[in-house]
Amino acid sequence: MPGAGTATVTIDQSRCVGSGMCVVYAPATFDHDETAKVVVIDPHGDPLEVVESAVDACPTGALSIATADSPTPQKDEA
Amino acid sequence: MTDVQSLDRNRLKELFDLRSSYNVAMGGDFQTDPYPVWERLRKQAPVHEGTVHKLTGYPGEAFFQGLPFPDRPHFSAFSFAACDAAFRDEETFASSPTAVDPTGQAAGVESSLISMNGAQHRRYRALVQPSFLPAKSGWWISSWIEETVHLLIDSFVADGRAELNVDFCAAIPILTITGSLGIPVEQALIIREWLSQPAKIVGMLAPIVAARRESPRDDLISVLVQAELPDEDGTTHRLSDVEIYSFAILLLLAGSGTTWKQMGIILTALLQRPEILKAVRADRRLLRATIEEAIRWTPTDPMFSRFVTADIEFFGAHIPKGSVLHLCVAAANRDPERWERPDEFDIHRPLKRSLGFGGGMHICLGMHVARAEMTVGIGALLDRLPNLRLDPDAASPRIIGMYERGATEIPVLFG
Repeated sequence: MPGAGTATVTIDQSRCVGSGMCVVYAPATFDHDETAKVVVIDPHGDPLEVVESAVDACPTGALSIATADSPTPQKDEA
Repeated sequence: MTDVQSLDRNRLKELFDLRSSYNVAMGGDFQTDPYPVWERLRKQAPVHEGTVHKLTGYPGEAFFQGLPFPDRPHFSAFSFAACDAAFRDEETFASSPTAVDPTGQAAGVESSLISMNGAQHRRYRALVQPSFLPAKSGWWISSWIEETVHLLIDSFVADGRAELNVDFCAAIPILTITGSLGIPVEQALIIREWLSQPAKIVGMLAPIVAARRESPRDDLISVLVQAELPDEDGTTHRLSDVEIYSFAILLLLAGSGTTWKQMGIILTALLQRPEILKAVRADRRLLRATIEEAIRWTPTDPMFSRFVTADIEFFGAHIPKGSVLHLCVAAANRDPERWERPDEFDIHRPLKRSLGFGGGMHICLGMHVARAEMTVGIGALLDRLPNLRLDPDAASPRIIGMYERGATEIPVLFG
């Protein structure tokens, strides 16, 4: 598994409803702005597998992650 | 809020016993463990024709959102993949059978956020979501949860024994929600009795809403009276009284019973596993994983339902337009395709989303408040009640119920 340093998290604020699920799983990576839209506070805040759990947890598909192994951003495929 | 003693314990017991008349409509008297049946059903097929309670073998009629609708075909999904796919496709699987008019005259759950679809749901949810973010948990805790939790423990700490299901778990969520709405403690229980009569709750809320429009405070009604809703045409409007009443009724309905029962399930799981209880007591950081695992292992609401808007082939079933699809999230949460040893309560699993709070756009709005109530509540019990254990001379708690699952009684000793 590559470290979080080789992964890129992408957010789509238009899909975000501010459920806060990402913060449950990766609280050092994600937070929300004052309109309850997701923001990345630290792209390396959590280990990669934790960020992947957060991407999977997003109920609206607002998060995606690209690693060195998979250069195309993958929507959560749970 | 120093008058928590004014809660009538006997009344509380009646209102918060799953087997009482207030809760029996949702199948609260169901005593059989449904999980073996759900496992068998999931193995047979991800989607079955029929309702969850009939497929489970519940002898009578049980009601919940999505039931009874006798004129519609009913289907039920039992696998994680099927439930998750339905949650994520709100166009095909809608939250209400007809469009919602929140500006009408009647306040109630049918006119609230939970029944809305698409862009309308997004606009209304966006209005209240900032008050329910994880970052707002501290506001909920310091404003309402912490004081309530400690006052409740004060009321039994000298006794050396307690019945945690009613004396503790039941009271925390109802007092948190009513507190956030500005409803005094002595009226909190009446609200629970009145949940099926929205007009009475409106009568109680009306003077509070009027007062907050005059002079806002640091509470949820004040947030609602000041919030501006962007309309489809780009203009904004303030919420009407009826819109605020509907939202408040939704919060009371969705927030007062669920967290009570989920907290009881967590305490039951811990008290029946003393080695895990000991580990959590020693390392309080384990409480987070304990709560998440309990929500996976036995969610208090085992089913959510959706209305099918188009003919669809769905996980091997042909589901006609107009059907109701029941998503048995409790079964999905033990799908071996997603979890190893799914029947085991294991707090050391890697953290992974379950469907215990639902999924998709309608995922539980109050889930971070619920987590905060359970974290503060259970944490305070562990802090203040040394040697907390089940009373060996009383019947051990059992988890019962069809569509609202929870513990029977949780008799404990401490000290």
